[in-house]
Amino acid sequence: MSELQKLVFGYVGLLALLALTVGSSFLDLGGFNVALNLTIAAAKTVLIALLFMHLTGTLPRLAVAAAGLWLVILFGLTVIGR
Amino acid sequence: MSGTESIVFDSPRREWRADTFAMWVFVGSEAMLFGAIFLVFLFAHIDFGPAFASASKHLSLPLGTFNTAVLITSSFTMALAHMFALHKRWRPAVWSLLATSSLGVCFLVVKGIEYGKEIDEGLAPLLGLPFRYAGPDPVHAEFFFSLYFTMTCLHALHLVGGILAIAGLLAFWPKARPGNRQRRVVAVGLYWHFVDIVWVFMFPVLYLINR
Repeated sequence: MSELQKLVFGYVGLLALLALTVGSSFLDLGGFNVALNLTIAAAKTVLIALLFMHLTGTLPRLAVAAAGLWLVILFGLTVIGR
Repeated sequence: MSGTESIVFDSPRREWRADTFAMWVFVGSEAMLFGAIFLVFLFAHIDFGPAFASASKHLSLPLGTFNTAVLITSSFTMALAHMFALHKRWRPAVWSLLATSSLGVCFLVVKGIEYGKEIDEGLAPLLGLPFRYAGPDPVHAEFFFSLYFTMTCLHALHLVGGILAIAGLLAFWPKARPGNRQRRVVAVGLYWHFVDIVWVFMFPVLYLINR
């Protein structure tokens, strides 16, 4: 796949996921609406990070992993503390 | 000699790597800032679910969806600018950067229209404006709108920062060496995509999951 094709694929994918997330909000899936919307947001993030931000190399991945770890601590300890 | 911008690097390659690493660390620190606000929203949503659900129905889903598409498109044009800059195709790179910042301005204008609507309806508990909410549990609905304005204003502020960064990049464009142009486009691009990712989470959290 050429570079441009990758970007177009990412863009179309993001718009499709946007349509999916808005569409799903009109369906009553009980508690799954929240989980589905957040999963779609995570999928969009992966598309943006890999295709648009070119997340490659050890150091950038290390920075992302560190940020992720601290977010897990932030959310995890707060959930436990309640 | 080596074509680096700073004398501390012995090769452009090392300078490039240092640049991107620093941008990723910066993006990570920004994720902490937004993460904390999302955490507050999450727990408020757990505690006051019904009040948040009825309050969020007052937000405009069509405008929110449109703005999400605008921001996704701006990320795409930013990625195009990155691609063109790496291939030293300067003219399309500049056009892509201009398109990106214009889409950013478009997002802010639509957000402004949304804010105007919400202020008219008395849903903006800020700057001493009257808060007139007819639905159930107005106290926690007010909390929802406070969080909504805090989150979206902070995001809009970041977007303004991104637009100014692109403007600065273009202002110094003619005199910049090719390597510096490329590194700046990559750095501003990383920031821009991060601001897009923040919105990718903010949109469902504010507009959708409460429906």
